[in-house]
Amino acid sequence: MAKYNRRQFLRSTGAAALFAATPGLAYSQVVGGGAPFTDYRALVCIFMFGGNDSYNMLVPTSPAAYAAYQASRQNLAIAQGDLLPISPTASDMTFGLHPSMGALQSLVDSGQAAFVANMGPLVEPTTLTQYQDKSVILPPQLFSHNDQQDQWNSLKGNNVSKTGWAGRMADLIRTNVAGQQMATNASLFGSNLFQSADETIAYVMGPQGPLQFEGFSTDPNSILFEQRQAFRRIVDAQYDTIYERGFAEIQRRAIDAADTVSAAIASAPTLNTVFPAGQLGTQLETVARLIAVHDDLQMQRQVFFVATGGFDSHDDQNQNQPGLLANISDSVGAFQLAMAEIGELQNVTTFTQSDFGRTLTSNGDGTDHAWGGHQFVVGGSVNGNNIFGDYPIPAIGGPEDVGGGRFIPSTSADQYAATLARWFGIDDEDLDVVAPNLANFGVRDLGFMIT
Amino acid sequence: MNKMKLISLAASLLLSLAGCGGGGDGGSVPPPPPPPPPPITKAEAFQFLNQSTFGALETEAQNVIGMRYETWIDDQLQRPASLQLPHLQSLAVPGVMPFELQDDRVDIWFRNALHGDDQLRQRVAFALSEIFVVSHIGSSLNNQPWALGSYYDLLAEHAFGNYRDLIEAVTLHPAMGVYLSMLGNEKPNPTLNIRPDENYARELMQLFSIGLVELNIDGTVRLDNGQPIPTYDQSIIEGFAHVYTGWTYAGAQNFRGASPNYFNQVVAMELHPDFHDTDAKTLLGGVTLPAGQTGEQDLADALDNVFNHDNVGPFIAIRLIQRLTTSNPSPSYVERVARVFNNNGSGVRGDLGAVVKAILMDDEARPAMHMEIDGKIKEPLLRLTQLWRAYDAQSASGRYPLLAAYIFFGQGPLQSPSVFNFFSPFYAPPGEIRDSSLVAPELGIATEYQNTLVTNYLFYQAFALNHIADSLEEDDVFINFQEEMDVADDIDALIDMVAGKLLGGEISDTLRTEITGMLERIPETDTAIRAAETIYFISTSPEFAYQR
Repeated sequence: MAKYNRRQFLRSTGAAALFAATPGLAYSQVVGGGAPFTDYRALVCIFMFGGNDSYNMLVPTSPAAYAAYQASRQNLAIAQGDLLPISPTASDMTFGLHPSMGALQSLVDSGQAAFVANMGPLVEPTTLTQYQDKSVILPPQLFSHNDQQDQWNSLKGNNVSKTGWAGRMADLIRTNVAGQQMATNASLFGSNLFQSADETIAYVMGPQGPLQFEGFSTDPNSILFEQRQAFRRIVDAQYDTIYERGFAEIQRRAIDAADTVSAAIASAPTLNTVFPAGQLGTQLETVARLIAVHDDLQMQRQVFFVATGGFDSHDDQNQNQPGLLANISDSVGAFQLAMAEIGELQNVTTFTQSDFGRTLTSNGDGTDHAWGGHQFVVGGSVNGNNIFGDYPIPAIGGPEDVGGGRFIPSTSADQYAATLARWFGIDDEDLDVVAPNLANFGVRDLGFMIT
Repeated sequence: MNKMKLISLAASLLLSLAGCGGGGDGGSVPPPPPPPPPPITKAEAFQFLNQSTFGALETEAQNVIGMRYETWIDDQLQRPASLQLPHLQSLAVPGVMPFELQDDRVDIWFRNALHGDDQLRQRVAFALSEIFVVSHIGSSLNNQPWALGSYYDLLAEHAFGNYRDLIEAVTLHPAMGVYLSMLGNEKPNPTLNIRPDENYARELMQLFSIGLVELNIDGTVRLDNGQPIPTYDQSIIEGFAHVYTGWTYAGAQNFRGASPNYFNQVVAMELHPDFHDTDAKTLLGGVTLPAGQTGEQDLADALDNVFNHDNVGPFIAIRLIQRLTTSNPSPSYVERVARVFNNNGSGVRGDLGAVVKAILMDDEARPAMHMEIDGKIKEPLLRLTQLWRAYDAQSASGRYPLLAAYIFFGQGPLQSPSVFNFFSPFYAPPGEIRDSSLVAPELGIATEYQNTLVTNYLFYQAFALNHIADSLEEDDVFINFQEEMDVADDIDALIDMVAGKLLGGEISDTLRTEITGMLERIPETDTAIRAAETIYFISTSPEFAYQR
């Protein structure tokens, strides 16, 4: 009996040109209607899973504020001399960045990066008294990882919502981007609520882009073309249960998108920028390459979801935080270099989200779940070298502290999303669809985007 | 057959019985003995075994048909656990890098999953490992393989024991102590703004026992003015956080800075009273622990407090039902199982063996309905184990060290990316499932990317990792399809054989037609390719991904 291996199988079936990349079935969401955009814009969401301790990422260095920080944080405080100074315009306080974030410091200095301070999910403006009196509607399950991730991603407040704010943006513009060869929303970190929608479906690829199916050919003369067609007919069949239908639907999308997107990304120019090794750097490099070929895919609006974890620093925070923040900083720094390299600085805005801020108090060697925290926004269209929102004095028992140094946000995640959505091209009257609680806040645009 | 057809069939049978007369003159005729239950079909036995083992086998299906379900379950319930730690301890200790043993830990997991004769216990242990999650991914537990092996053994040994004992063992195991940072957690020091770590306090309640909101006994959410009622607030989390102070590795000289070693990572943590908080503590349900108790007393009282919360029965019922039988149990199914949790019939609360039996014997799990929302998507790792069991998978080395399971399949033994498991019990994919307010947790990791990885793995398994492949590495796990090759000149026989092994003999017309079309293109002398092709198409099909 002859032994067999994959190579022989492929040879025996006559598939000389296996995986020949030709444009396959388009992933367009054809609905017809709205006028196409005349430009290209992309948003890149970096989600820091676990809850980034952002009160150690952006630290006030004005004497009184730093003294309050040091008194609150004790053994977790970063020495003032180690902080990387930044000089945001129009701020009456001075600040420093975590010593591992040199790349972000450079982006701030060059005007490409801005911060939004003490922000988090809110249904309506909330004071400490209102919080204690329960006289205000709060996002449910504060301080819980998955619930607060869901809040950031969906902005649902105390409503039941199964869509995310990027998903709703994609739905709103779907008639404007009918020619796109790929979904507006793409994730490189699994399925997520952020991009979930009613009318459109996010495409989930791997950290290095989509995978091709082994044993499928697009060459009609190959038996492996027949194999692909047979596989496709199987997933297209009628099934009795919601589970088989749900599974088959994913297989169908995978088959349809893999060839198109893979071909496009394969044709992307080689970037000179070197990205940091690791999960986030790899994802951002892939995003950069996809942005470089957006014309080939006829993309006009894209939202990318990338992520990295490990931020739930209950333990060993002083040991782990430098590496976590360095990775964010260096990866974003590389991504901006790549955007400059391909001439897309103005068209791409990167922003962070995370479960929550963390307690100013320590649990001995780490911090626990809190609420408000700081996020940053990076890009050529960012009103950079600024801190938006109110940076509170980081004192235990201060007017924002609900206990243990858990700060009530002074700016809502809805305002943050709406500001980004407006730049992305969402009409003003639709911002309330993207950010359902926006009307409860006076300021609809935080001003960190140049539009 | 769908439920409507069954009902109409039953109705017509009743009508035909009525037509046979039999209306006697009353009273004198003794009632006939109950009819014997109908024989269990092979397809029904497959359904049962895919709920209760790491993959149905034709031989085991014959056992189920002969023994019937209850006897089979009772036999499994008394089988001792196949363990991991003795195997890991039999291996040489890596000189510097204990993480090198993680592939041996995964190996022994596969050996027990594939070949353990305590299949039901191993399957329930796997389910528990997705509720009481610890992981070597992104954790210092990567360098503590013995702790993980020991922790998994704990789950297997408690799988049919009492839930109260289980949560105590979980709480005190150093693997959990490390993973959710209870190990080394100490009493407050207000002058330094140090307060107890809240990690374990929060997740024990949110993920392991009661969840975030109050439940009715049938698992539906209790509402107050239309809003769910939180089960706890921050003050209760802090109360439990204070309870869980003072514990570290057994035998440690000093509480602070205690580090793991070969011995202390596999035994329960010990209390250092000086680091335990002795103030009063607020727990669930308005209970306050008095000041001045020992750490052991506080712990026992606190775990009793959680254990006796009304949510535990429905919460654990839903979690285990979703892992074993269906993603969308009816409220009455949840209630029946929750009531068994609350009282096993002998007045005992928390009897997990009784709960598992109730889940598998329930009417909603047992008749092979094949309805719209019955059943679930198989976890991708269980698709692999089912295939490997059916095709006697092995490697030249005898090992199954598939450490990259979590990459290829999106999950692997104790390889979750976080304490929130590989997927959420609430995950609903867009489309009809979400629109119907139903869930399909396993589809949370069935992304385009992950599904393609799995599909490609199965492609290589069929075509390149098989018993006639050359140039295999000694750890490559290959399947054996010699029986298929022997009948491969007969397309119908070949398809019947693979469908018999993987689908319990039930294959859709579409799948049979498409495979037939492909096999007709492959010369009948290419028996290996025909066999591989058939296994590839069936193992990647939606109907194989579905567990009825």
